[in-house]
Amino acid sequence: MKKLLACALLTSCMVASVFATGSKEEPVAAPAPVIEEMSHDELVARAKEEGKVVVYATSSRIAKAASAFTALYGIEVESSNLKDFELIEKVAKEAQAGVVGSDFVLAQDAGRLVGELIEPGYLYNYVPPTLKDVVPVAMQNPLQVFAINKVFIYNDENVEGSPYTNIWQFADPKYASLLQFKNPFQEGVNANFLTMCTSDEWSAKIAQAYKSYYGKDIVLTTPNAGYEWIKAIYNNDLIVGTSDTTIAENVGIKGQNAKRENPPVGLFVYSKARYATSKNLALKPAMEMEPFSGFYYSLYALMSSSAAHPHAAKLFIEFLFSEAGFAPWGADCGTYSANPNNPIQEDIDFPFATWQPLLVEEDGAFCFDNRAEVEEFLNQYIY
Amino acid sequence: MSAKSRLNNFKSFIKKPHNIILIVLFVVLGYLTLVPLMTIIVDTFSVHSSEARFVKQPVGSFTLYHWNKMFASGVTSQKTFYEPFLNTMVVAFLSCVMAIAVGGFFAWTVTRTNIRCKGFISTVFVFPYIMPAWTLAMAWLNFFRNSRVGGAPGLFTVFTGIETANWFAYGLFPIVIVQGLHYAPFAYILIGGILRNMDANLEEAAMLLHANRWQITRKITLPIVKPALLSTFLLVFSSTMSAFAVPAFLGSPVRYQVLTTQMFRTLNGMNPGYGYIMALIMIVIGVGILMLNQWITGRRKSYTTITGKSSNISLFNLRKARTPLTIVLVTVLVMVAILPLFSFALESFIMAPGNYSFSNFTTEFWIGAGRADIANSEPGILRNPSIWLGLTNSLKLSVIVSLIAGTVGMLAGYSIAKRRGSKLSTWVNNLTFFPYLMPSMAFGAIFLSMFAVRRGFIPALYGSFWLLVIVGSVKYLPFASRSGINAMLQLSGEIEEAGTIMGIGWFKRMTRIIFPIQKTTFISGYLLPFISCMRELSLFILLVSPSTRILTTLLFQYNEKGWNQYANAINLMIVVIVVSFNLIVNKLTGASIDKGIGTN
Repeated sequence: MKKLLACALLTSCMVASVFATGSKEEPVAAPAPVIEEMSHDELVARAKEEGKVVVYATSSRIAKAASAFTALYGIEVESSNLKDFELIEKVAKEAQAGVVGSDFVLAQDAGRLVGELIEPGYLYNYVPPTLKDVVPVAMQNPLQVFAINKVFIYNDENVEGSPYTNIWQFADPKYASLLQFKNPFQEGVNANFLTMCTSDEWSAKIAQAYKSYYGKDIVLTTPNAGYEWIKAIYNNDLIVGTSDTTIAENVGIKGQNAKRENPPVGLFVYSKARYATSKNLALKPAMEMEPFSGFYYSLYALMSSSAAHPHAAKLFIEFLFSEAGFAPWGADCGTYSANPNNPIQEDIDFPFATWQPLLVEEDGAFCFDNRAEVEEFLNQYIY
Repeated sequence: MSAKSRLNNFKSFIKKPHNIILIVLFVVLGYLTLVPLMTIIVDTFSVHSSEARFVKQPVGSFTLYHWNKMFASGVTSQKTFYEPFLNTMVVAFLSCVMAIAVGGFFAWTVTRTNIRCKGFISTVFVFPYIMPAWTLAMAWLNFFRNSRVGGAPGLFTVFTGIETANWFAYGLFPIVIVQGLHYAPFAYILIGGILRNMDANLEEAAMLLHANRWQITRKITLPIVKPALLSTFLLVFSSTMSAFAVPAFLGSPVRYQVLTTQMFRTLNGMNPGYGYIMALIMIVIGVGILMLNQWITGRRKSYTTITGKSSNISLFNLRKARTPLTIVLVTVLVMVAILPLFSFALESFIMAPGNYSFSNFTTEFWIGAGRADIANSEPGILRNPSIWLGLTNSLKLSVIVSLIAGTVGMLAGYSIAKRRGSKLSTWVNNLTFFPYLMPSMAFGAIFLSMFAVRRGFIPALYGSFWLLVIVGSVKYLPFASRSGINAMLQLSGEIEEAGTIMGIGWFKRMTRIIFPIQKTTFISGYLLPFISCMRELSLFILLVSPSTRILTTLLFQYNEKGWNQYANAINLMIVVIVVSFNLIVNKLTGASIDKGIGTN
């Protein structure tokens, strides 16, 4: 009987401890380690001692880069491809749990990265000393590795010159049920783009574009012209997609233009322009749109505060800026290395300097402060 | 009652293994289901890190913000909650009707008529349930897509030249059809089980009294099937209510939103508080349906069906309709169960979408080394290490989960049946069923935050394989415990008592007497968690880490990226594995999933 009682007591203690201690353990964010300057050779030596590096990335091409890195340095890489919000959730949860996960991340969605991962100290910025003079200063904090552009692309089969020259066309009933755009709630950078449209700078330009399209001033029913445009395109039966690849195929498949009034058009990553040859599609960017032809976002390399292999991680970050490290992305159009010495696909692409003035850029701080409001607004029109 | 006799009572209570099992289950399941429920409730009232700037309160503080926004904020509430909620109810209700109509009709024809090809029909009819539901949605799009989204026209339009209407191609209609077909096997299994096991004497007696077919159906068959109809309704309603992928794929082109699609984006986006409210509401509705079901069914007196009496049922003679009806049913089955598989196989060999000429065929996506210009140099699936890892993990996970859920479910069934009518047993019974009512995605999200930190003697499980195992085992316990309870209720008590009188120990009684007698039902209780696990997505999607990735999460990733060839190939792989596993187990032991849910 005593045994039984003891058992029961022990069990209840264990049970109580399960309920009790769980929530009390506050996550302690490790302070960002002091970055010690060391020579490149020393970094390589230390990295090799560590022998391994774990990376989370929102780009699937990380796997190729990883094998190139392993081939070059003999350091094993465990890479995983996550979606933007999964990566944010994962890094935050792991940091709070004190679990050692990634050594560094290659991630997108500037707004949330800054506000939810860098500010609490889960991730910190590291610029390889060898790159301080190579990468443009504006791209160093947080460190951008690549820029990726999403552009208005139309089906150019038997079409001379772009039929699309002003973003307000997509709000015009003549062009209803036409524009395809991936659900901004599915990919943070799309929501960031819409958020940027509501900034003072871009909403002024959008108002200007309205005037040049309709020949009169815009009448506002919402806070500014950016919101007005968002409302108008969704009310004009924008087609919400689930993947840029699928949108590219839907837009580009040949034989559609003959049956339709307006050539199909979508706002999606320019890297899909390659399908024009590899999948025999008809895809062409509309590069003379008023006031923008699309937007761009960046992939950021950020160190984990809890990295188990910090030197290998730093070496990998540096490697991503080299020609070999960029190759998995550079083998295709639509990705632009922050190291301007890395080449682009000249047959089909343009230097980033050509694109940049045509595109809306992503301002992490502005997005983090305003995106929730824009999402709230979108809710009313997107569904 | 004196202290001594109370102690004696306690002693004899504790001596019986089924009491100990009940208490352990009560504590463990209470912890694993009620704590998540509490966490959900707390989460709806607290400020999350992504919302702090917007709500303008510190993270973790108390707020009514989410409740206010969801229910009392004009257009916002209308669009984020009320409309999706209404859509969800409509979808779930119509899907139930569809599933019961189709599944019930097939069940009746197979068990009660002299239709041909019964073996083929009952094997193939469960295919749509084995396939991940959203793959049927993909197949629907392959066939019926129209020019609204552009791209290659659907096969239907190619062959007939008729352009499908928007309402036919996207939104409510296809969602209901696809979900209805996906869950029809449920109705088939539940209703068929009753029809098959029902005492033929009842109908024979009616026949002797010169009742006609219609009277027999109305007065005898339907009342007997009624509990199965209600159970089906309950199960299908909760399942379709919490289904995510089908509405995501078919609803999105016309922006048809349901609660789960809203929940997905809020849980993963900036407003998790909204998502938890939706999860809570779905749980409340689920519990409501469960209670309604129990209230309507009441407590049936006898469940015993293994009685040794004759159960030869006179089959309804279809006469002239026999062959035509067989052809119709087989054709329908081929269309919903085989054709999608064929289309997956076909699509996985095609380079440019919509072009089925021979020159467009390629084995790139199966055995290629990966081309940079197609899909970011992803190697073909047979050469792809991450797919092999996913496959290993999926198999490992499904086997472990099915062993745990199956065994626990069997023990639960044994103990619940033994103590039927007692409060403890009723509680444990409800607790084992509760996980079924939790929307998978919310369940995953809760376990994620619950076990992210160390809890007493349980270490932080984040990113570990065991977290997946726990979630899977709890979530699929209802399947196993249902079949466990059914198996035990069918078994009359004397059999075990005989063993007890002979002085045989409990363990031996279980393994030598009870298990062998109800072997097929118990094994079915292992099979269902296995199959469900193999094709589950939303439960695990938030919990996998690189080293624990599984096939379905890979499949969804490929789907989302639009790399349909890879997705189709993996899909085919999952279906082939599950179907062959089911067939092997069926051949070896006689168990099959259609026996799993049994007769309750």
